[in-house]
Amino acid sequence: MAKPKIAVFKFSSCAGCQLSILNIEDHLLDVLGAVDVAYFVMAKRENHEGPYDIGFVEGAVTSPKELLELKKIREECKILVAMGACACTGGLPSIKNFAGTQREMEEKVYTELWDLKSIPAYGIDHYVKVDAYLRGCAVDVGEMVELIKSALLGVNPHFRPHSVCNECKLKENVCLLVNKGKPCMGSVTAAGCGALCPSLNRPCEGCRGPANDANAASLAQTFAVDLGLSRDDVRRKFLKYAGNTPEFKKGAEAV
Amino acid sequence: MSDRRIFVDYIARTEGDGAIDIIVGPNGELKKARWEVWEPPRFFEAFLVGRKAEEVPEIVQRICGICPHAHHIAAVRAVERAMGVKVSEQTVLLRELVHYSDWIMSHALHVFCLAAPDFLGYESVIAMAGNSDLLPIVGKALQLKRLGNDMIVVTTGHEIQNRTSVVGGFTAVPEGSELRKLKERLKAAKEFGFETVKLAAKLASQPPYPDLVRKCEHVALHDDKKYAINDGRLVSTEGLNVPDWEYPIWIIEKHVPSCNCKHAIIKDRDSFLVGPLARVNNNFDQLSPDAKAAAREVGFVAPDFNPFMSIVARAIEIVHSIDASMQLINELDDPKFEEPTFEYKAGESYAVTEAARGICCHGGRIDKDGVVQKWDIVAPTARNVYNLEKDFEEFVPKLLHLSDEELTLKCEMMVRNYDPCQSCATHSIKVKIRRER
Ligand code: SF4
Ligand code: SF4
Repeated sequence: MAKPKIAVFKFSSCAGCQLSILNIEDHLLDVLGAVDVAYFVMAKRENHEGPYDIGFVEGAVTSPKELLELKKIREECKILVAMGACACTGGLPSIKNFAGTQREMEEKVYTELWDLKSIPAYGIDHYVKVDAYLRGCAVDVGEMVELIKSALLGVNPHFRPHSVCNECKLKENVCLLVNKGKPCMGSVTAAGCGALCPSLNRPCEGCRGPANDANAASLAQTFAVDLGLSRDDVRRKFLKYAGNTPEFKKGAEAV
Repeated sequence: MSDRRIFVDYIARTEGDGAIDIIVGPNGELKKARWEVWEPPRFFEAFLVGRKAEEVPEIVQRICGICPHAHHIAAVRAVERAMGVKVSEQTVLLRELVHYSDWIMSHALHVFCLAAPDFLGYESVIAMAGNSDLLPIVGKALQLKRLGNDMIVVTTGHEIQNRTSVVGGFTAVPEGSELRKLKERLKAAKEFGFETVKLAAKLASQPPYPDLVRKCEHVALHDDKKYAINDGRLVSTEGLNVPDWEYPIWIIEKHVPSCNCKHAIIKDRDSFLVGPLARVNNNFDQLSPDAKAAAREVGFVAPDFNPFMSIVARAIEIVHSIDASMQLINELDDPKFEEPTFEYKAGESYAVTEAARGICCHGGRIDKDGVVQKWDIVAPTARNVYNLEKDFEEFVPKLLHLSDEELTLKCEMMVRNYDPCQSCATHSIKVKIRRER
């Protein structure tokens, strides 16, 4: 079998997810031996045109130019992977979608606006078909290696759609929400991070986006009624990493 | 004869989206040397307004995946200053350890994956690893980078975005035994640190680099007691010496047409350089004894105004970071968990940290309910862009005898000296160079 051609693309983001690829030092030389890294601007000077077997896209689409590029990338890639919260759901850049009009955002940062071209921030599946999602901010390295291996073998990766609470219970953590009264988003957030934050005594902020059975409206009620969070505080929780999703929107609108 | 134009669509091995555009006239005169930034603006400063103070450090660390901790700690300190929050000595030390871990990761990444392939004539570290003589070095470099990453995981829970550091302290602290294991690995990494300094010095001493000197103002944080990383005064080789929270008064930004990245100058003066070379030049005496010895051994004398020596400064800082981290682990001993606490209070303040690539500035105004009213962010790349253009103006005329291909590479190297991080420049960048005859 010929080595699969891999490409890594970046839109509006911190580059942390593509850095995760360079962060698999222990597997890096093996993985690089198994694949042909055809396009990876952050790591290479010589980059080749498509078509590619697997394309990883990092970042949210936030300009008309990025949208054009994304459409071209979709045509060039057999398997298209949304990599990280920004590409999956719009991520942090999407906060601006709920903070005011585009023009108001621009005026807050720039004094001269004539050559700014930016649009609301969405995940890439708002515009094109996506074949696989690597959730999280930043992505989980274990899941990334799993995805690359599965793609090489031609099987579906085994990712978990249930909530972070499931993983948190398996870790036998004391619940931050029930026992400590902290506004944890774990019950509505998709697992896969190993309940990273609650295990470190920090409430889940929902960076992996909604779980398959998320009841965000109910959690929003709990935040407001039992924990005494203000309406604005509840909105801020749900409109952070995945406010574009219908599930988290329900949470934001529930109180 | 018509103009000669250099244009590179993108510069590989940097982050983000920008373009270098250089036009040389028929008589060799430089008509244009601009670094234009195309990366779409990310509006952090806009959408932070209306968020809660404790969210600012969590959000701004996501400006940059390579130097999240520089942004995070600058923001956490600015919030704490604005709201009058005091933190323990342990928290101060842990934050330093987190940040040094990031330096080790980032410097190893820059020196070996981004800069060394240029100097050695490879298109990437992947190609470099294909040479069996260089493979062992690449292997050791990846190990060093892994060590930095493991330190970040032990101190913050995640390789890229920290999960434990918050306003008021840490939600969880590392086990003393885990820290001591890291110390053993740091000790073992020292030797490779020395090798890196020698390798970097050898690369930077090849012609034409030693001839490419340009005196300009070098700005860094300075602390009288230790090598400054998270706190200190802003000092420079031209005598700037002011508290870090006064940065908005002394460093001024201006918007430039056709570029999403603002230019920075020192008040009443001109462009300036930030980053490892600026730090080593301003704070040489405070480097660890071994880092100083390594620097002297390769003949480094501060201040050095050759921007291509940045790779050497970075290597010297690798040795220093290893030593400083071991020292911090000794001082931290067995960290005890302290519940992070704070209360909302109206206030305004600013703070600066040293990202691996230079000063990182944050601050703003918070109301009595803890809601952000205004937030200012200036990443190191935004500080350096204007200075880089001045490097082009000075060096391109000296390199006109080179072929188009070689000149383009040298221009890219000028950019990479700054370890630019265009996605981290909040008002951010893409790079291209164009050449026409
Ligand atoms: S701490 Fe959070 S993630 Fe864990 S069980 Fe409680 S609600 Fe769920
Ligand atoms: S616990 Fe929540 S916020 Fe933390 S990594 Fe997992 S999904 Fe993201």
